[in-house]
Amino acid sequence: MKILVLNCGSSSIKYQLFSMAGQNWDVIAKGGVEKVGLKGSFMNYKKENGEKIVFDGEIIDHKTGIDYILGVMLSKKHGCLSNLGEIDAVGHRVVHGGETFSSSVFIDEKVIDKLEESVSLAPLHNPPNLKGIYAIQQLIPDVPQVGVFDTAFHQSMPKHAYMYAIPYSLYKKYGIRRYGFHGTSHRFVLNRACEIIGVDCNSVKIISCHLGNGASIAAIHNGRSVDTSMGFTPLEGLIMGTRSGDLDAGVVTYIMDKEMIGTRSASVLLNKHSGMLGVTGISSDSREIYAAAEEGNELAKLGVEMYDYRIKKYIGSYAAAMGGVDVLIFTGGIGENEKRTRAGVCKGLEFLGIDIDEDVNNSTRGEEMVISKPEAKVKVMVVPTNEELVIAQDTKTIVEKL
Amino acid sequence: MAELKVEPIESYALSNKVKVKTLFSRIGVIGCGTEAQGIARIASWYGMEVVLVGRDKGCVEVALDGISKELDKRIQSWGLTPSEKRAIMGRIEGSLECSSVADCDFVIEAIPANPETGHRDLVERKRIFRDVEKVVSEDAIIATNATNIVITELASELNKRERTVSLHFFINSPEAKIIEVVKGLYTSDDVYERVCKFVEMVKRDVIPVMESAGIVSMRLYVVLLNEAIYTLMEGIATMTDIDKTMRIGLGMRFGPFRTADLIGLEKVVIWMDNLYEEFGQQKYKPAPLLKRLVRAKRLGMHTGAGFYKYDESGNLISEDFLSMKIG
Repeated sequence: MKILVLNCGSSSIKYQLFSMAGQNWDVIAKGGVEKVGLKGSFMNYKKENGEKIVFDGEIIDHKTGIDYILGVMLSKKHGCLSNLGEIDAVGHRVVHGGETFSSSVFIDEKVIDKLEESVSLAPLHNPPNLKGIYAIQQLIPDVPQVGVFDTAFHQSMPKHAYMYAIPYSLYKKYGIRRYGFHGTSHRFVLNRACEIIGVDCNSVKIISCHLGNGASIAAIHNGRSVDTSMGFTPLEGLIMGTRSGDLDAGVVTYIMDKEMIGTRSASVLLNKHSGMLGVTGISSDSREIYAAAEEGNELAKLGVEMYDYRIKKYIGSYAAAMGGVDVLIFTGGIGENEKRTRAGVCKGLEFLGIDIDEDVNNSTRGEEMVISKPEAKVKVMVVPTNEELVIAQDTKTIVEKL
Repeated sequence: MAELKVEPIESYALSNKVKVKTLFSRIGVIGCGTEAQGIARIASWYGMEVVLVGRDKGCVEVALDGISKELDKRIQSWGLTPSEKRAIMGRIEGSLECSSVADCDFVIEAIPANPETGHRDLVERKRIFRDVEKVVSEDAIIATNATNIVITELASELNKRERTVSLHFFINSPEAKIIEVVKGLYTSDDVYERVCKFVEMVKRDVIPVMESAGIVSMRLYVVLLNEAIYTLMEGIATMTDIDKTMRIGLGMRFGPFRTADLIGLEKVVIWMDNLYEEFGQQKYKPAPLLKRLVRAKRLGMHTGAGFYKYDESGNLISEDFLSMKIG
């Protein structure tokens, strides 16, 4: 079975072609199209043997980009398919499923209508996702398509966790509530963690930290998300590379008054000028910040302390929300690779049963590993995420039932 | 590490469709004044490559520096990040040769007015239109940025007259997300539609207008300015309060006096003369005070003083520069 996974952004398309043989999923081609609709557009393509090719040329829109992706996969010179019929299904990453989608779905006309309705909730992300869906409809119309939502996993949150304390009428009018993101990643690492340590995910309390450019943390009780730090938009919660995370809303209106800026600039301020970049003034890249901190830069040290402290507060509150915690997972670029962040977050949480083995933590980088001490009550784990694989697996499950 | 290979993508198209060119991937802007800078900045902001053509090296440098400073202001007011600025600047290329717009599918003439006469040299603009047509492709669009009746006259210089259109960018108020698109006598529907597409790509709304002096914005504005000046002269209210009334009371971004300073009083006078000449109505005749300020070279923000007084970076330093004693 071969499944194409697409992640269409505003000017990019990421793709992976999975082939499933037995229980094994192999990636037989992957890459991305960049600068869609802009000058200097190109396509990266990595073959199964590791060979990399860059294709240069005008790629005017998402449909053209996908046309080329399929064209290259079919080509004699670089291809991995003998005909397009070999593609059994296409799985799409869709950012926002609103309240309509609590799991992955087979995409039919009704689903497309619902997705069109949800554009107002994610005006930057959902339109390109839809473009990818329309392109596949036109290029390979007989191939079933599946939508996998970033928000779906968190639809299990109870109402007292997802509502904001603002007039209820605004929830009714605009759907303003916490939706949460990174759901596909949290779902993947929770299942993988349970597999690794051999426990039933329906009987554990897990806190999952996805720490990448964007960062979110989720409380997962018996396999279901019961709370998460990102909210109506991916701006809330943890401190991120360039996003502020939690902030007194009074600060926003005060800044807008003082700096005489409108909503657009305020949004750029909080999404792009803030977070670790804003605090340290150095970079949004954690490696550069740690390097500066080690050289004695005070703001870099402060940034690192704030970053870890925010995560620690969330771990405490989610442990309280679930009445305990059994497993703490680190994933995402920083969670998987940055031992200093993991150590900084866990420090002082021994009272909760979180106690990491310093040596194991220090030697773990981008691999699956239990980093807590054997006798510790809470299993602390590093689990690299793989959202594309979840999309492929969901797609397979759904199309097999058709 | 496998060696990285680079190949052209065209031959891999699934459907052997005709090669389509990205619409407006590269545009040409002729001129280096504030209008040209504004147009180049807006187009590049939205991902287009821009060739900015100037008379000499000095003025191209001044123009690029002007765009850079304008973007710095956006960074200071949190609307842009330094890396986004680098990308925007990286898409703008300065040039001294008209021929460098050859591969642009849209060229906008926006030469500044002669500082002595206050007029944009029509002979020069006609020459630019002819020169541009010589180098661009068959279906390239040639436009001017203007608020007066000129596009049909410029079009008549060309072999393919239907490829012309006139635009009016609201350079002085960046928040004004509209562009007046003027259809000349020769402008074809296809060209007009493509230009509307361009306007959409720079995230602005099209205000379709017919060729007419002052189009909508300036025709209405100059009358307001004249009335504001007479209101001031009659001692009804101070200049600051007139501006404040229009700003707060009627929701204008700036009041009529501040707006005039931002545009440049010499330009306003030319528009008014043009309207007066066209329609012959007294209401368009520049008020004496306006003429007096122009004669005194108090031309607005760019000269440090107009109705108000400004510092070197264009910040208002005196609110009462011109306040009359109210008797």
